[in-house]
Amino acid sequence: MSLKQQRIFWALLFLVMILAAFIIPFLPPLKDLPRVYGAFLFWNIFALVVIVCLGIITARWRDDDGR
Amino acid sequence: MDANTIYLALFLYFIVGSIIARQARSKLGSGVNDFFLAGRALGGVIAALTYSATTYSAFMLVGLAGFTYIGGVGALGFELIYLSGLILVAFFGPRFWLVGKRYNYLTPTEMLGDRYDSRAVAIVSAVAAVIFLIPYSAVQLIGIGALLEGISGGAIPYLVGVSVAAVIAVYWTWTGGLKAVAWTDSLQAAVMLTVAVLSVIFIAYRAFDGFGGMFAQLEAQYPQWLTVPGPGFFNINAFVGLTLPWFFFSLSNPQVSQRLFMPGSLGQMRIMVMGFLIFGFIYTLVSIIWGFSARLLLPDLEVADSATPVLLSMNIVPNIVALLVMLGISAAAISTVNSIILSLSSMVCRDVFKNISRQIDEDRELLIGKIFVPLFTVFILAFATVRLDLIAALSVASSAGLLVMVPALIGAFFWKRGTSAGVLSSVILGGLTAMILQYSGWRPLELWPGVWSGIVSVTLFVGVSLLTAPPEKKAGEFLGYLNTELNRRKVI
Repeated sequence: MSLKQQRIFWALLFLVMILAAFIIPFLPPLKDLPRVYGAFLFWNIFALVVIVCLGIITARWRDDDGR
Repeated sequence: MDANTIYLALFLYFIVGSIIARQARSKLGSGVNDFFLAGRALGGVIAALTYSATTYSAFMLVGLAGFTYIGGVGALGFELIYLSGLILVAFFGPRFWLVGKRYNYLTPTEMLGDRYDSRAVAIVSAVAAVIFLIPYSAVQLIGIGALLEGISGGAIPYLVGVSVAAVIAVYWTWTGGLKAVAWTDSLQAAVMLTVAVLSVIFIAYRAFDGFGGMFAQLEAQYPQWLTVPGPGFFNINAFVGLTLPWFFFSLSNPQVSQRLFMPGSLGQMRIMVMGFLIFGFIYTLVSIIWGFSARLLLPDLEVADSATPVLLSMNIVPNIVALLVMLGISAAAISTVNSIILSLSSMVCRDVFKNISRQIDEDRELLIGKIFVPLFTVFILAFATVRLDLIAALSVASSAGLLVMVPALIGAFFWKRGTSAGVLSSVILGGLTAMILQYSGWRPLELWPGVWSGIVSVTLFVGVSLLTAPPEKKAGEFLGYLNTELNRRKVI
């Protein structure tokens, strides 16, 4: 994938993830699930997935010395 | 808690921080870039800690715990969506860093002025930042004043607490500029996280038989607190209204986005980003668990923001840990305030004074910036003495106002067609929208001020830009340079 394609891929993926984080906990089944494995777990997983994605993106950055 | 013990702890804290600040000064260069940006050579770990300490304020263990107390798990969603706002740094961080080095930008608002080829853009954006960050900083001092007053049972008067925090913030900043701020922030971040984690472990094991026990009780006694809208506070409009401005925090708040100019390399920036994410994830969970614990242990509080001071005054947490938590919360507030003061001072000297009088040399520019450090502190202190009720609401009002910078920032890097008239109209009218809606309490279509200020500023930026002529030469040169470098450095 070219850098431009990667840019579009990640932007779309993040857009979907953010929208999901705003919407899904307000809809069934999470809306009606008063358990720690409901919205609480969902938002934690969302944040961890974002952290992993940012780890992948930033690992590709290159400095002048090639690192 | 005994007032003298608290005074002694604050004094020792001040001394340790001052030693660090003076040590930092001994390694400080003499120019404006050295004072305000640590010479663009900050190491990744220090950068991560100062980014964390600057971003996370007294709001976390006071306001966010209060939100959890009254609104339940929605507070977690709100704060973790904010954390995910670092997605923006994956796109904008290297761009800021590259153009900052190439054009020697000191402030994000200077960058806007240059990119849109307009001094007015730099001046207006800097003034807008001052207007919206003063209340935000005052809120930090208010948090410390209220905390010290609450935890000492009124023995430490509110004004004394506020003043002590202001003195600490201004002294460290004045002593060694950004280097001192970054080093003391690192101490403060370490204190914030360590004591927060320690205290929440104490609460979980001494009051609930562990975290499992706490959540089991929550499921049994307050099941609604584990859903949204749950108890009602986080209905969808409130959730979006609170969360949307915070999602853009890493771009909209200059004291945070200015930190994108500071790492010594992209590798160091990576450490900064990942370090902050890990810090933020842990600190968020701790703050939420505080709120849930308070809900179970103190079900009848009238003011949600008092959950933390009251919880600390119970005997669940040992006195020494409670004292350290108090220090940790004060550290969170001070580290936010001193970064804001420094950032605003740099904007005043570079974007306002230097644009009005181009004759200013670097020594005089630095002097003006330094003079504004105590001036802003006094101003923030004065604002904090006019005590206002809900900490979180005021913080959010600030981010709703600063949100109006975001279209111009995105446009600077991704839209050649953006113009200075578009920026000026979006920042001025978007900012006015945020202020009018916030202070009138009016919510058209039940949407919050942050949503409206976002809509108004995007519409004006795009609409007015399309009707006016863009700075084609500057935009072409700026974006051309960036594209070459981004490809070479494999930045998306």
